[in-house]
Amino acid sequence: MNRVLALTRSELRLIFRNKTVLISTLAVPLGLGLFFALTGFGDGSGASIIAMQLAMVLGLGIYVAATQTLVARRQNLVLKRLRTSGISDAGLLTATIAPVVVLAVVQMVLFAVVDVAFGLPVPTSPLPVVLAAVGGLALVVTAALATAVVTPTAERAQITTLPLFFVMVGGAVVLAFLPLEGIATVVNLVPGAPLGSLANVAYGGSAFSPVQVASLVVWPVLFGLLAKRHFRWDARA
Amino acid sequence: MCRPTGEGVPTGTVIAMTETAVRTETAIGVRDLRVRYGGFEAVRGVDLEVRRGEVFALLGTNGAGKTTTLEVLEGFRARSAGEVSVLGLDPGRERHLLRERMGIQLQEGGFVDELTVGETLELWGRLSPREDRVARLLDRFDLVPRRDVRVSALSGGEKRRLDLATAVWGSPELVVLDEPTTGLDPAARRRTWDAIQELQDGGRTVVLTTHYLEEAEALADRVAIMHEGRVAVAGSLAEILASRPSSFSATLPAGVAPPRGLDGPEVLVHTDDLQRDLTAFLGWAADRGVTLTDLRAAPASLADIYLSIRSEEK
Repeated sequence: MNRVLALTRSELRLIFRNKTVLISTLAVPLGLGLFFALTGFGDGSGASIIAMQLAMVLGLGIYVAATQTLVARRQNLVLKRLRTSGISDAGLLTATIAPVVVLAVVQMVLFAVVDVAFGLPVPTSPLPVVLAAVGGLALVVTAALATAVVTPTAERAQITTLPLFFVMVGGAVVLAFLPLEGIATVVNLVPGAPLGSLANVAYGGSAFSPVQVASLVVWPVLFGLLAKRHFRWDARA
Repeated sequence: MCRPTGEGVPTGTVIAMTETAVRTETAIGVRDLRVRYGGFEAVRGVDLEVRRGEVFALLGTNGAGKTTTLEVLEGFRARSAGEVSVLGLDPGRERHLLRERMGIQLQEGGFVDELTVGETLELWGRLSPREDRVARLLDRFDLVPRRDVRVSALSGGEKRRLDLATAVWGSPELVVLDEPTTGLDPAARRRTWDAIQELQDGGRTVVLTTHYLEEAEALADRVAIMHEGRVAVAGSLAEILASRPSSFSATLPAGVAPPRGLDGPEVLVHTDDLQRDLTAFLGWAADRGVTLTDLRAAPASLADIYLSIRSEEK
């Protein structure tokens, strides 16, 4: 555990040393989240704003950033080198991704404070929002590991992360507005879509569905299995 | 900060493991190792034995299978067939135990460019199962003036020294070095040799790959030369050199016919009995009053053997 913390601290320090990474990891999702809160995105109801804030911080702040970090560390052989130290493989991946997760959690807390400060309606049931945040976290972390499997360079990560990012944001936006009926229930199976529908549930705009939980469990499991089977540590083909 | 201890003294845990491992004299045993990448067999039935406390050099051309073999020993690559034992452990299944006792220098660095040299070593200290001091390694590898310099600003040779410093952190029982002196200037190469010699003096086992034959001759107790996925020759330097013919050469004056069976005017003779044949040749020259120029005689060198293996395979 000490080794994981030591490497996490080192990786966190690196984020603050690299302006490009700092902007993409912290400034952009934070800025967009604040923008949604200030402008009352969509119908101005809490559900759409919270859904977009979650989608941005999870999608940009974790998914894209973690994929780029993993691929960059592999590309310059840092992962391979660190495997020769005493840290375990799981610990190495955890410590590599942990800093962006920590920053994302901090951003979520900031959003909650800002939302309250700007008079956004408080969810009638906060539990679905917590479920969306935790499930979404599992989704984007495993998706980053899986996307790293098919991404040869850090530059290419800017392209390979786009499809899932847009699917996630699109699904979340659509289901933030729709009540969970008919086809909308099935749309929950799209990765990330439950972020919107659970925000909707939190504000009483829709009923809870087991499909939401199933989606938040099945995709991380699938992405996790893909990564476990095919993840490469070496940049060499 | 890193856990300070004596000069590279391993922890109690490591000492206990060392005592267990000392029961065997073989540090590394490899039998009929095979590694396939798809349809290509990169390692084709390699047998190796590395004894505890020796420096073992693995030589070979590019693509001979050296790095693949090392990666199997390090537990980073699965073998297709064969038996491998490293410090009594199976590197494929027990890499987590092995890395506590093994230091590794990769062929390429793999450090984070944004960290300084000092930060890199401090981080390594926190990740390593062994204990050592940053200051000792900075001093040992002449990196003290570069302590606060980012890795991205280091020269290739400085990066190799930093790489070696992490590999020997805490003086592991077994150190595997993949081309440790590639890119180093002669002085830095000499210091690296000294460091390897120190490891051996401390009872550590060292396995290294190199393209520099003089490096193998200077450092290694035993060598293996790989070619096209196989071990072509293995043994102590003395054994290997004794198995190959010595040679002598000389240039005859213009118009002088060489002894029967030899080509001239530049005479080159390979022989299993250098003294007998050279004496006969010099006697032949003396009898005829022939003045030889460029007269040279030498036992087989590692370079001769290396080159002959390559030409034999062709």
